[in-house]
Amino acid sequence: MNALVILRDLKKETVDGWVEAVFATYPLETTGFLRTKNNPFTNPVAHMTREAADILFDAIIGEDIETDKVAGAIERFVKLRAVQKGEPSKSLGVLYVMKPILRKTALPAMRKANLLSEYLECESRLDTVALLAFDIYMRARETLAESRIREIKNQYAQLARWAQKLEGSPVPDE
Amino acid sequence: MAKLPTPQMLIASRPPFPARDWFDTKPEFIPGSYCYPAKVDTMELLHMPHPHEWDPSGENWNLPEDWEKILCDAFADRLEKHRSLKLFMDICVRCGACADKCQFFLGTNDPKNMPVLRAELLRSLYRRDYTMLGKILGRRVGARSWSMDIVKELFYYAYQCTECRRCSLYCPYGIDTAEITMIVRELLHEVGLGLHWIMDPVKNCSFTGNHLGIQPHSFVEIVEMLADDCETVTGIRPKTPFNKKNAEILFITPSGDVFAEPGIYTFMGYLLLFHELDLDYTFSTYASEGGNFGSFVSFNMAKKLNAKMYAEAERLNVKWILGGECGHMWRVINQYMDTYNGPSPANMTVPVSPVTGTVFDVAKSTKMVHIAEFTADLIYHDKLKLNPKRNANLVTTWHDSCNPARGMGLLEEPRYILRHVCENFVEMPENTIREQTFCCGAGSGLNTEEIMELRMRSGMPRGNALRYVQQKYGVNHMACVCAIDRATLPPLADYWAPGCTISGLHELVGNALVMKGEQPRTMNLRQEDLPEEAMPQEEGETTEGQATEGEGR
Repeated sequence: MNALVILRDLKKETVDGWVEAVFATYPLETTGFLRTKNNPFTNPVAHMTREAADILFDAIIGEDIETDKVAGAIERFVKLRAVQKGEPSKSLGVLYVMKPILRKTALPAMRKANLLSEYLECESRLDTVALLAFDIYMRARETLAESRIREIKNQYAQLARWAQKLEGSPVPDE
Repeated sequence: MAKLPTPQMLIASRPPFPARDWFDTKPEFIPGSYCYPAKVDTMELLHMPHPHEWDPSGENWNLPEDWEKILCDAFADRLEKHRSLKLFMDICVRCGACADKCQFFLGTNDPKNMPVLRAELLRSLYRRDYTMLGKILGRRVGARSWSMDIVKELFYYAYQCTECRRCSLYCPYGIDTAEITMIVRELLHEVGLGLHWIMDPVKNCSFTGNHLGIQPHSFVEIVEMLADDCETVTGIRPKTPFNKKNAEILFITPSGDVFAEPGIYTFMGYLLLFHELDLDYTFSTYASEGGNFGSFVSFNMAKKLNAKMYAEAERLNVKWILGGECGHMWRVINQYMDTYNGPSPANMTVPVSPVTGTVFDVAKSTKMVHIAEFTADLIYHDKLKLNPKRNANLVTTWHDSCNPARGMGLLEEPRYILRHVCENFVEMPENTIREQTFCCGAGSGLNTEEIMELRMRSGMPRGNALRYVQQKYGVNHMACVCAIDRATLPPLADYWAPGCTISGLHELVGNALVMKGEQPRTMNLRQEDLPEEAMPQEEGETTEGQATEGEGR
């Protein structure tokens, strides 16, 4: 039996399991809200998580998806994790939580169908997605740092221009 | 045995039920989530109570010895003074309507950022001293005693609220959580706890007029530089009248628009518009900051800074005040100015547009008109020649700034103007605009760079909606009427919707405005090339003069 056919059937179970695991990284009082509201604008965190979960699963089981599309679909989620409190390992570590879930949902079925090497490829593809996420995460953090500098400059932009025009100004003309 | 933790152990998912309830959960002061404290000399200059050195991430905040008594007395005083506060403390039924409406909650998922729980931080203290059940049963009915941890908690969450009032909109009782935040901030100031980015501008506004503390003569020179820039773009150097006695109108706008990008282009828009109308107006070097940083500190400080407007209106003997694109300034004017500083000086009269004759009845009491109302009225009466093609490169959306939108109901006027100066205008999703607008995430004095990370969380719902229209409709610009927005939305857009630029409304008006005797324009106010269709044609003819028709509102 084709690996993809087996894995596709496990999508809902696996994706739900991962989404729940991500929600469980937030305080208990918040999880109910994340679970129950589905509007992309009034519950953006849940929407971003579900969007990422959907494509994450498709990508790791080996559906035919362009790398850019995968990166685009997990971008919002990774950017969110990049500014929410927590170490980088915590922020991105949630992607790897997919592994124990897969081992619970997909591994037995794949082993039964004698498709163990195909299963291992899935785990490797997860590693690839995690690397893509790492790039997005770093870019996000760099944007953050640049924004801090740009904001200071912008705040005084006109003042600096004025200072440059003063006689004997120590501020160099740009 | 391997000692490395598994990913699950690393991300440390919480247990199914937390070991401690919210009463005992302490906030973590990690960099990026709290603002720098105010300087001692700033606090001393402003005669604030108990100025002292302290560090929010430190264990000891060096509060005065009798801090608990000071806070209890101050709270009692505020309850006595504001009946609304007492009401807000008593009437919440915890229906939860506000719980998921706060952008800080949506971005941080911290339950104490639910407006109901943020208010509960203070309400639990109220319960201990002011309710019978709380006095007898204490903790069992949600009453708490003051402690240093609670002071820290109040500080942490009072500065994770932008006083935007999105939550109040949904409250069936109309509880204004923003006012609860204001009171908490007031209380904290009683023991010397304030923020640098709020108190420094307060000091500057108190002593020199504008938020950066630039001396009046330099302030004038900086404005004149902007007039020079207007001349570069249009060939016309607009007037820059300062402290002109007996002018008809006093114009007050946030000083951020004089110093900061991209606000300066909005300021240039004002200069061009007033010049074109030959308006008899003046700026004031003393009342040169519309944005009321005092409103982020205490009611008294807000009153003190706001008083400058009427003081200058009286000294310069103007008839009425025209107010620029600002956020919190309008909340103060619309909601508090009458009680703070009213009645207006005797020399002032009900504002009448000198161009159209429209009487602004809505401003009968304060004598202050919002520039969006003023300009919308001009367009409605077909008094402006506009060429929206000059903004044809923009597919713009509109961010309703919290205070003008929710605080004073300014919803249609800016949109009316925008439709006349821009060819392409797209609304963001319905539940993110107008009264339900999401905050930029950095209002009420939180627009400081050290909490950029927090701002990206709290501004995420706005950034998310912007990203949606960017991807779906090709939106590449967002306009707004608030100086804080103009400062905070660019980094937010860079993060959540890269490629979207931000501007004030009157920058777009200034671009589109076809002035009498102007040179053929090739640049917009940012001195970037105009879109192809708006460029002067070769034989000397221009595409100018395609004035838009006034439409009924």
